[in-house]
Amino acid sequence: MLRPIFAFVALYTVSASALAQDKPADPGRDLVMQKCSQCHTDSIWRDQRQNAGAWEATAYRMMARGGIWTTDEVKTMAAFLGREFGLDVPRAKPQQR
Amino acid sequence: MKDLVYKYLSEGISRRGFLDNMTKAGITVAAAENVLDAISTSANAQDAAAPATQQNNPVKQFQGTGGACFAEQLTACGVKYVFGNSASEDAQFYEALVDRPQLQYIISPHEGPGAAMAAGYIKASQKPAIVMQAGSVGLMNAMGQIYNAHKEQTPLVVYSYRTDQSRRAGRDGFEEIANQEQVVQPITKYSWMARGPSMIPETVRHAFKTAWTPPHGPAYLTWHSDYTDERTRTEIIQQSHYDTRMRVRPNPDEVIRAAKMLVEAKMPIMIVGDEVTKAKAAAKAIKLAELLGMPVTQMRQLWANFPEAHPLFVANAPAGTLASITWPKNYDVVINVGNKMQHNGVNPIVARGVKFIDMRIDYNNMGKVMTTDVPLVCDVGLGLDDLYAAVEQLMTAKLREEAATRAGEVRKFTERARSLRMGFVNSPEWNNAPLIADRVTWEVAQFADPDAIIIHEAGANVMHSFDFNPVGGRELFFYYGGHLGSGVGTAAGVKLARPNQQVICMVGDGSFLFGPHALWNMARLELPVITVVYNNHGYGGPHSRTIANVPSGRMVETGQMVNGYLGKPDMNMAQIANGFGVAAEVVHNPAQMKEALARARKATIEGKPYLLDVQVGRRGVNQVAEPWIPPISGAQMRTKKV
Repeated sequence: MLRPIFAFVALYTVSASALAQDKPADPGRDLVMQKCSQCHTDSIWRDQRQNAGAWEATAYRMMARGGIWTTDEVKTMAAFLGREFGLDVPRAKPQQR
Repeated sequence: MKDLVYKYLSEGISRRGFLDNMTKAGITVAAAENVLDAISTSANAQDAAAPATQQNNPVKQFQGTGGACFAEQLTACGVKYVFGNSASEDAQFYEALVDRPQLQYIISPHEGPGAAMAAGYIKASQKPAIVMQAGSVGLMNAMGQIYNAHKEQTPLVVYSYRTDQSRRAGRDGFEEIANQEQVVQPITKYSWMARGPSMIPETVRHAFKTAWTPPHGPAYLTWHSDYTDERTRTEIIQQSHYDTRMRVRPNPDEVIRAAKMLVEAKMPIMIVGDEVTKAKAAAKAIKLAELLGMPVTQMRQLWANFPEAHPLFVANAPAGTLASITWPKNYDVVINVGNKMQHNGVNPIVARGVKFIDMRIDYNNMGKVMTTDVPLVCDVGLGLDDLYAAVEQLMTAKLREEAATRAGEVRKFTERARSLRMGFVNSPEWNNAPLIADRVTWEVAQFADPDAIIIHEAGANVMHSFDFNPVGGRELFFYYGGHLGSGVGTAAGVKLARPNQQVICMVGDGSFLFGPHALWNMARLELPVITVVYNNHGYGGPHSRTIANVPSGRMVETGQMVNGYLGKPDMNMAQIANGFGVAAEVVHNPAQMKEALARARKATIEGKPYLLDVQVGRRGVNQVAEPWIPPISGAQMRTKKV
């Protein structure tokens, strides 16, 4: 359930600052940056850790919320996210607050 | 008997009420009927002899208690339903209802859902209604829905008495708060306390006039409770003789400027909003879009105001700004037709530098955030008429050709987008049990009637696959205001207004728990609504956004989230529904979903409401099967086993 908010806010995005830092070219990264940043900044998703299959399901969930992507694009994005934000990738340490 | 005759002639009581009172006074039914015939004949003869100006007089002198005056004026305002919760200080009003069957009272077991029901009825019928509560204490429960009405611009009229009597006010008495009417002032168009019983009808009239004069909004009225008991003589005035009937045409000079701007644009785009539905102008919006081959979108609103399957509809803006739509990106002129344009971020919905035509009656919200090149303050129905005529005059053969080419481009995009969007059924989780939320939505969309009304209070879930169409198709009622607990009440009110259309209430478990009470009204009033609860045992949206607000924080590291999980124990919405007298079942997987919907259809055909408690998987950042909960145990605190 969602408390009062924009119900159409989808979840996941990647900001240029988070993903474009000195990384080799990656079509998955490019697609994520292009597609997801249409609605999001990275703060809403960057702590997520899940395998490529679950990222694929996430992408399809975003399609139901307005994402217009081909099946190939979904698979490419999911493969990238599964590598970069998979279950075995450690999370960032909490910042001092 | 003299009093009774007066009451009957002044329409203070009905024929049946007159006969009942006469027989109670010891007069036989036959004798009472003779008296009635005699006075009716006499009254009719007087009417026939009266000058034409006095016949059907819109102003009636009335004498009675404040409560009776209230009831008389409500009838004159065109009110049929009074929604309320038990309020003993309104006794004289209830007394007045006995002989006024034209005013029907619907009791609600909680003021919040009761107000939502009233608002739902008003939104679906566009007819006046009133909701009333017991003094300040009831008002506090209703305020959430008054707030919703304020945000949605719903003409909800609200009344609650002041428990303190006029000659004993100001003593911090029972249920007394100072300046009660001012509590709701920021969220109403009008809030006023009548200063005496004779002022009750005038206050009621002013509340209805203000609420129903565009842009619509709620109005609140109150008075000391003794005024309801006190007898007075006052005027009752018909709605037709105080209503301003404000339907404004746009400034003709601005219409010409807008028309020129639109025909000269390479890629104009239209944003539609709720004023289109209120003005019953969806067909006019379609006509203008088609004339210009203009793509159409919508920002967050209550209704779907343009047919979603129309080839010119490029989809709702997913993140609330025009920049978030996938296509087109090269729009050079934007026209808003009746959208409230609610901002939820720093960026203007229409970016700076793009020419912007703003057509709506909601003048107060115009020019607030976005720069406006052409303001068209008007009833959007009339505005669309005038603008269409002006554009058509300017359309040369070349411009028509350009519009046709543009329409072809838009169609190409919308067809491809439509086909791709349906790809979500390929999700690897599509057949999961518990279900994914999108599967629930999809199953209901396959099931719903072609003219079904969908009440949406289901959090972050999107009502995809319904192809809403304000021109005779499926309709959407979204929870625009955001004060939760409105969905079930709204559904009951909508069904009351539209008994011949299927009504399906799609609600999250959290939303449902804020206001399930109107299920009881559905059972009592035989309002066959289907309620579908997406039950993921948690606040999914707040969970994800909490992490987004503190990314990579201690909450994430430890898994200690205090605000997102509603399990341990899981709540059973079907049993809650049963408690309100509504048949219900728990659904665990997609196959059961289809069967359960079939049973829901059977129940509603028989006139009974039905509820599906659909078990939905939690999805989102850091969702786990067994969430942590704060270790608080009353059992461990106690030192006595009691």
